[in-house]
Amino acid sequence: MANPPTKEMPAAIQLDTATPISVSVRNVYKTFDTTPALKDIALDIRRGEFFSLLGPSGCGKTTLLRSIGGFETPTSGTILIDGKDVGGIPPYGRPTNMIFQQLALFPHLDVYENVAFGLRVQKKPKEQIDGRVKGALALVRLEGYERRMPSQLSGGQRQRVAMARALVNEPSVLLLDEPLGSLDLQLRLQMHEELRRLQRTLGNTFVFVTHDQGEAMSMSDRIAVMNGGVIVQLGTPEDIYERPQSRFVAQFVGHTNLFDGKVIRIEGSRVTVESDGISLAATTPTPVELGQAVTVVVRYERLGLGAGDTTLRGNVAERMFLGGTVRVVMALSGGRLVTADIASTAATGLPAIGEPVALTFNASDSRVLVA
Amino acid sequence: MSLAVRSAFRQRLAASGPGWALASPAVVWLIVFSVLPIGLMVAMSFWKSTIYGTRPDFIFDNYRRIFANSLYVNQLLSTLRIAVSATIISLLVSYPIALMLSRLKGAFRPGFLLLLFIPFWSSYVVRTFVWLPILGRNGAINQFLLWLGVVDQPLDFLLYNEGAVLLGLVYVFTLFMTLPIYVTLDKLDPALLEAANDLGARPLQAFARVIVPLSLPGVMSGSIMVFLLAVGVYVTPQLLGGPSGLMFGNIIAAQFLSDNNWAFGSALAVVMMVVVLSVILSAGRLVGLQQAFSGGHG
Repeated sequence: MANPPTKEMPAAIQLDTATPISVSVRNVYKTFDTTPALKDIALDIRRGEFFSLLGPSGCGKTTLLRSIGGFETPTSGTILIDGKDVGGIPPYGRPTNMIFQQLALFPHLDVYENVAFGLRVQKKPKEQIDGRVKGALALVRLEGYERRMPSQLSGGQRQRVAMARALVNEPSVLLLDEPLGSLDLQLRLQMHEELRRLQRTLGNTFVFVTHDQGEAMSMSDRIAVMNGGVIVQLGTPEDIYERPQSRFVAQFVGHTNLFDGKVIRIEGSRVTVESDGISLAATTPTPVELGQAVTVVVRYERLGLGAGDTTLRGNVAERMFLGGTVRVVMALSGGRLVTADIASTAATGLPAIGEPVALTFNASDSRVLVA
Repeated sequence: MSLAVRSAFRQRLAASGPGWALASPAVVWLIVFSVLPIGLMVAMSFWKSTIYGTRPDFIFDNYRRIFANSLYVNQLLSTLRIAVSATIISLLVSYPIALMLSRLKGAFRPGFLLLLFIPFWSSYVVRTFVWLPILGRNGAINQFLLWLGVVDQPLDFLLYNEGAVLLGLVYVFTLFMTLPIYVTLDKLDPALLEAANDLGARPLQAFARVIVPLSLPGVMSGSIMVFLLAVGVYVTPQLLGGPSGLMFGNIIAAQFLSDNNWAFGSALAVVMMVVVLSVILSAGRLVGLQQAFSGGHG
């Protein structure tokens, strides 16, 4: 599948069918006792790709990552890394390294020895170890911290040690199991840039597990959205955001208004949907029939105060200042709520709470989901 | 500025009563059960023993007597050797048990722990005594060997020697080694092992580089406990040791129980206390240094 650079996030490299496949997951099932955790997972991750597994907790994303790393054995199916079936190969035999959720730095070893661990157990020559450890520490900007113990480091520094410890082994695939979860927001944003920079510099394949859609969108070349042990949608961040294929993805990725209704008019890809007595103009990606039950998806930020194909009228129920945007919750006459994010600069004439308001959107900004 | 405020606050806190009030039970306990008895023992070691009893005095005769005769020093050395051997054997026996225990899942773990504890519900003397009908001339092992026809005379070397003492010591004290090791292994984050594995360490390498160093605190406290318990025993050598298996504890006990020379007994006890303390301190130092070195490279 072609993967064009998007406006928001230029891809590091052009990934196309010519790029060799780094990780190939084929029909993988995993069952814990009797609970299925992965159901028929199939995906190909290309070399040098920043690939995210995104989903709520319990969706199977960590199980899939751990299966690639060799910490879980799939009940059935195959996983290939660099074209080689890794079934039955323990973690220490795989060309992968993992950054663990709780980092799992060795508390009895200092920064230098933590990073050197992998090279030491592989019995690399001393000079080589020293050179590579120093290189890895420079890469994560931790020169001068060699003799610190993990307990003497801040959260962000520990994060960097964990990255250096994994990357020093030059893994073909780096597995990241929600490693940023414990950091505060500022530090997280900083680490996002850091990770992206590292990935571009080194060109390894990164497989990143997260439940944070913003994190997945800002860093990934492609995202697999998972729910209930299956991949519900796979594509570029733009694909996932602009063209959700299911109600789940529409709601999980970004902030979304959903209107359930029936198709009452069709003009090519442009349709009109009637929902609770309101007519909504929307674009449909797939052919629909008159009277068909569908859901119209409208992102919060696609609603505005100006003119549009569809106008919704109600009263302001709530308004929240979010900095760059103002979030307006409008109650329709029937009681249902519609939310819009209006750019702060455009929100000057916004009515007060309880006052009537009209929110509008264009057919090109709303999308039909076939339920 | 805030630093100055904080340190002033801390000083006031230290000067005021609540801290001392909270600590007082511990302090009282320490004085009654530790400082007083040891002080009394040290004082008595300078007293004079006569046929009429022990009299307060300040003489060094008791110490002179200990060091004038190589018998006491040799006995002390062999006691240390036995205690150290018992500690090492206990460690070798306990570590695999503790490791296995920490890996057990579900209901097996409390079951196994219970099995470890059950022998400890009977007294130490009884548990030592049971070796007599096992190792003795007419004991279970000899009976079995005779019945098998492996020997035609009962073996005499099973009992009343240092080996029997070691066996008895390891048997009665091994739990004090197993439990602290088990606790440190149980607390070990399994993710650390996964990390070691992920970084290329085979199971044995992960054991040597992660499990062992992180369980050292448990090994250390278990070793100190077993060493302390073993170095001071006199029941085990008395029951299982025979004349060659006597330990320093037997000599001390004899001063109080049969020779009625409390002053000399106290002096012997003080010497042993000083030696044992210095052994433990230097062992602790050694491990401390090792830990400092394990971070080094190049």
